[in-house]
Amino acid sequence: MECVIGIVGKDFVLVASDTNQAHSIVIMKQDDDKLFRINDRGAMLVTGEPGDKVNFAEFIQRNLQLYKMINGYDLSIHAAANYTRRELATSLRSRGPYNVNMLIAGHDEHDGASLYFMDYLASLVKLPFAIHGYGSFFGLSICDKYYKPEMSEAEALNLLNKIVAEIQKRLLVQLPSFHVRVISKEGIKDLPSIYAKYQGDQAVRHESMEI
Amino acid sequence: MFETRPSSVQHPTEHRFNPYEMNGGTIVGVAGEDFAVVASDTRLSEGYSILSRDNPHLYQVLPKTVMGSVGFHGDCITFNKTLQIRLRMYEYENNKKASTPAVAQLVSTMLYSRRFFPYYVNTIIAGLTNDGQGCVYSYDPVGSYEREVYRAGGSSAALIQPLLDSQLGQKNQGSFELNRSYTVKMSKEEVVALVKDIYTSATERDIYTGDAVFINVITKDGVVTEHFKLRRD
Amino acid sequence: MLSLVQRNEDEVLKETRSIIERSCIPPGISSIEMPPFRDPKTFLAQYTKPDSAVKIKFNRGTTTLAFKYGGGVIVAVDSRATGGSYIASQTVKKVIEINPYLLGTMAGGAADCQFWERVLSKHCRIYELRNKERISVAGASKILANMVYSYKDMGLSMGTMIAGWDKRGPGLYYVGDDGTRVTNNIFSVGSGSTYAYGILDSEYKWELSDTEAYELGRRAIYHATHRDAMSGGMVRIYHMKSTGWVKISEEDVTDLHYKYKEAEARQ
Repeated sequence: MECVIGIVGKDFVLVASDTNQAHSIVIMKQDDDKLFRINDRGAMLVTGEPGDKVNFAEFIQRNLQLYKMINGYDLSIHAAANYTRRELATSLRSRGPYNVNMLIAGHDEHDGASLYFMDYLASLVKLPFAIHGYGSFFGLSICDKYYKPEMSEAEALNLLNKIVAEIQKRLLVQLPSFHVRVISKEGIKDLPSIYAKYQGDQAVRHESMEI
Repeated sequence: MFETRPSSVQHPTEHRFNPYEMNGGTIVGVAGEDFAVVASDTRLSEGYSILSRDNPHLYQVLPKTVMGSVGFHGDCITFNKTLQIRLRMYEYENNKKASTPAVAQLVSTMLYSRRFFPYYVNTIIAGLTNDGQGCVYSYDPVGSYEREVYRAGGSSAALIQPLLDSQLGQKNQGSFELNRSYTVKMSKEEVVALVKDIYTSATERDIYTGDAVFINVITKDGVVTEHFKLRRD
Repeated sequence: MLSLVQRNEDEVLKETRSIIERSCIPPGISSIEMPPFRDPKTFLAQYTKPDSAVKIKFNRGTTTLAFKYGGGVIVAVDSRATGGSYIASQTVKKVIEINPYLLGTMAGGAADCQFWERVLSKHCRIYELRNKERISVAGASKILANMVYSYKDMGLSMGTMIAGWDKRGPGLYYVGDDGTRVTNNIFSVGSGSTYAYGILDSEYKWELSDTEAYELGRRAIYHATHRDAMSGGMVRIYHMKSTGWVKISEEDVTDLHYKYKEAEARQ
């Protein structure tokens, strides 16, 4: 039901996450933040089992902080992603595996902007754009069509708006708002959230249904 | 105050015997410009036992129309018998024999008539169209059908079909031109030779295919049958 | 065959009778044998499971779409049929030509769609002969919905769109195996439908030109085949106009892929 989106641009990653936190048929929270900072220029967007989500994300977060304290520098995004993957893979073979999916996005000197996609089975893959959740069924074909490498922030935001609009139009489970951030050399910057607009049915031109 | 009935409602379980079996066998059909080839191996199996080494899965339903039918042998026989009767009725009602395309449509509706308790059969119909072109039709067990240039069915279908795609369809080999023709450009002899090679290969890797292959070549003059030996182990 | 006005009553009556009495379709619904057990859906489910030794494979998996716009209705489909992970065919005709003014699409069980749309075409022809005019799209789709509804919960699997042109102009209906029947400007059905919707919604408007509309349909199917493994083969486009349907194109998705990549590179 949850949805997180990532798009790699010229020298930044644009990330968005829906703000619902649901339990059973109840929405428990409408301003949930699925983003966890792993350093000044990197973040994880996590979905999955409610308890596991925060527990695993914070575990990774703290260990990456510890790494910086010990060594005086951050892990690259590539290294952080692979570290996270291994932790999840180990947990997967334990008695109580973490059930979390995530996008790992960030910017570093080695690779510039990069985005990693990982599911709860610890399959990790580096991608130019990625979506977790049911939103992917609607968003990925839009990405396939409109994504271009080296997009500007405005272009990427435009693509993101297309995806979110489609999800809010077609996905049965309504996701009324999305937090939007851009991660670049300058750090993690908040952009205005996207809210669902009422989309009138394209000027209904069909007749009423009768024979 | 003890519960005397089990807490969950027990549904009576219906114990039915399994009405289906997979008896193996492989069929291949190819449509040529003025001929059609349909072939089948002659092995009949049940589980890991071989029931017969001399049971081709081809049924000549009309002088110039042959049906290949594999899957559950019982259903193959029943379906063949029923089809023959329906074709005889057609002949009496219309004062002529059914054309192959007409047989093709009839087979489809007959298979669908058992939609809720299907014939477990994979079917290929081969023959000639009204203007003398070779034609091959293939079916799923409930009668969805399509006219095709070539088709493999039965236990080795997944082994043979890719080979046919490569050798007859020239698929993904540089020219992406859509092949709009309904027939292959090869001669009878070339197709028959290819079919022999294909069965030799399939026999090597599929336990449900082997013993021998029967190849029926359908032309305007009728059906010629050829026999070719395969591994018998 | 469809010029009804010039023919005299006798002739028309004779054709009506002959279709009903001696049609090549065994008289429709009544000819489908009822199985000797209670629940055909669960019975068949035993043999369609991938781990069953006896496997009855039905051909499945699809992307189909249709949309109304100023110039009529566009119908676009892929051509792949799958039985489990095996590609049973790359050349399936998923647009069923019911008659010159009606098209049906095929998603779900191939045999179910093929058979019932053939029965529908019979009913439409009988309607024409009896009433001396073509059946409306609403009427045709209602016949199909009623037939399918009478088999509800017996395990039929079909998601079909009926597109046509009648007195009211372009018509588009979705008829589902549960007996639903709805009309709308845009529909997409099948395993790849969500991907197709993505493209369709982003560029759709009523004022599309014909070529723009063809390209939108083609693009949507192409992108669906790209993401959905159960869709593929060819992209077929049909256009329903006031004068009946026209087949617009039939292209291999591999061709399209390189064509689009080349066009992208040129920009």
